[in-house]
Amino acid sequence: MGDAVTRCDGDIVLRKRILFGWLFVAAVVIVGGVLIMNLNHTTSLSVEILMQHVPTNIDGWRATGRDRYYDADTIFDYIDGGGEVYRAYNLRRCAARRYEHSSGPEIVLDVFDLGSASDAFGVFTHDLDGDPVSIGQDGRYRPGWLSFWKNRFFVSIYAMEETDASARIVRELGRTVAAAIADEGRRPELLAALPDEGQQTNRIRYLHHHLILNYHYYLADKNILDIDDTTPTVLATYRRSAGQAQLLLVRYPSTERCRAAARQWVEHYVPESVAVTPVQLENGSWTAWRIADPLLAIVLEAETAAAAETLLADVPAK
Amino acid sequence: MTNECKIITRRDFMVAGSFAVGGAMARPSLGQAPPTVQTDRSRVVLIRDKNVLDENGQVRKEVIARMLDDAIKALFNTGDALAPWRNLFKSSDIVGIKTNVWTPLPTPRALEETIQERLVAVGVDATNIGIKDRGLLQDPIFTRSTALVNVRPMRTHHWSGLGTLIKNHIMFTDQPWAYHGNACERLGAVWELPMVKGKTRLNILVMLTPLFHGVGPHHFSAAYTWPYYGLIVSTDPVAADTTGARIIEAKRRQHFGEDRPISPPPRHIAAADTQFGLGQSRPERIDLITLGFTEDLLLA
Repeated sequence: MGDAVTRCDGDIVLRKRILFGWLFVAAVVIVGGVLIMNLNHTTSLSVEILMQHVPTNIDGWRATGRDRYYDADTIFDYIDGGGEVYRAYNLRRCAARRYEHSSGPEIVLDVFDLGSASDAFGVFTHDLDGDPVSIGQDGRYRPGWLSFWKNRFFVSIYAMEETDASARIVRELGRTVAAAIADEGRRPELLAALPDEGQQTNRIRYLHHHLILNYHYYLADKNILDIDDTTPTVLATYRRSAGQAQLLLVRYPSTERCRAAARQWVEHYVPESVAVTPVQLENGSWTAWRIADPLLAIVLEAETAAAAETLLADVPAK
Repeated sequence: MTNECKIITRRDFMVAGSFAVGGAMARPSLGQAPPTVQTDRSRVVLIRDKNVLDENGQVRKEVIARMLDDAIKALFNTGDALAPWRNLFKSSDIVGIKTNVWTPLPTPRALEETIQERLVAVGVDATNIGIKDRGLLQDPIFTRSTALVNVRPMRTHHWSGLGTLIKNHIMFTDQPWAYHGNACERLGAVWELPMVKGKTRLNILVMLTPLFHGVGPHHFSAAYTWPYYGLIVSTDPVAADTTGARIIEAKRRQHFGEDRPISPPPRHIAAADTQFGLGQSRPERIDLITLGFTEDLLLA
């Protein structure tokens, strides 16, 4: 009998342990699942799903026709000329929607999926005019146009004409789209290598295509710095007591490529130069460069030799 | 990367004077092109009429036709609006009217039709006249053309700074991106292509509602257009573009309240003069005739 009771108590304890074990596992799965779902929300978010979260009627502005979608091959059907910019930032998908109002200007919403936060940030930095607004990440507003990036999306909303009402709706739409993208994205790591002193935070361009570099700062008709998808690049403007200057940083995937690019730079642009020592160019500006392997750092358009030297010196060694 | 051909760098342009002394990238103002060996002068007519747009902003054909006729008469110093067309075009010509279909700001249909009608009026067979922007390289008129009329609205442009008459011929190449370097500075080279060279008899820059600043992926907002009600007409595309660009620059100064140079700088205009000899980019070598109202002319 006693053995039976003992066996019975043992079974109950065992069952309780098993039950608690399963409950614990279930709790871990549920909590973990929620966390994972949250983390993956933006990862799995497509522009098609994103557009479903954006109202088609907003204070009298109604979406006209069906949303249109483009990819890297078809973007030129939608954006004349400027489509190359989005291709240069690895455009995956673009959603376009137009809103019309009986007595207001047309409003155009474009959402670009660039596939990565770095590229969304990069394409955002292509045009940095405007005033900061608290919409999405780094939102900017200029008359008629709102732009921001969030996670791997770049969002552009513009009104064909600027009115008080259209300006309000543009912002409202922007906030709605931004809210539909749950997670913010991280800025490119390369930005951390930029010296802080005198950095003009509203004049930082991130890119990885020489066509885009040439748009912001024409260097050469050929890709002498060997910039491509594997070489994150940043061009930043500085104002320091020693003078203004621009800093170009290119991070290469290997020491060999970094040094080869430096050789090309010297051969084609500053054959008279040696590393670190500033060289005065024909327009009176100064340039200087150094290898901070795997970074190639180049100071451009420095107003003084001291501005070039000190800015270059502030680039981290690694 | 290949070293087979000469690499053109920013320093080459510094040596040539395209980049002036200064800290940031200097942008050469229009009308300050380097000295050129050309000594000819060019005549440009700017005509404006507020009635050219109706209350909805639509072009009135009878007004734009009259503007074109008046401009042609002034340009060629004649009282007969058709006489210059007879001198410029033979009845046997195959004429391509190179227009521009950019959706937000296309060449007005009424203007295209007027040009077509003037060509027919001087004997050009209607079946030998084509109006087109895209697909020129496969077009039966443009591939056989013996003469061209170049007509487009002026606007700021993402890659070249300005969408100009010089740039309008870019569709004659199947590699437009090959001309993107240095803000499309070498666009004048397009005019050397066999389909283009020596054929453009008349250039008409539409300045009815020019775009003076571009924003967003589509580079357009009506907020940056304004009614200027003008046409600029010349046989010299560079002189016409130079005149139009001066107006755009002045409008930008007026609108922004500060000097806001066109970005990127439209270097291709001066280069079309100094590198390709297509015309005059220096205002002092342009004989500008203004017709119509002069309020806010923006050509001080």
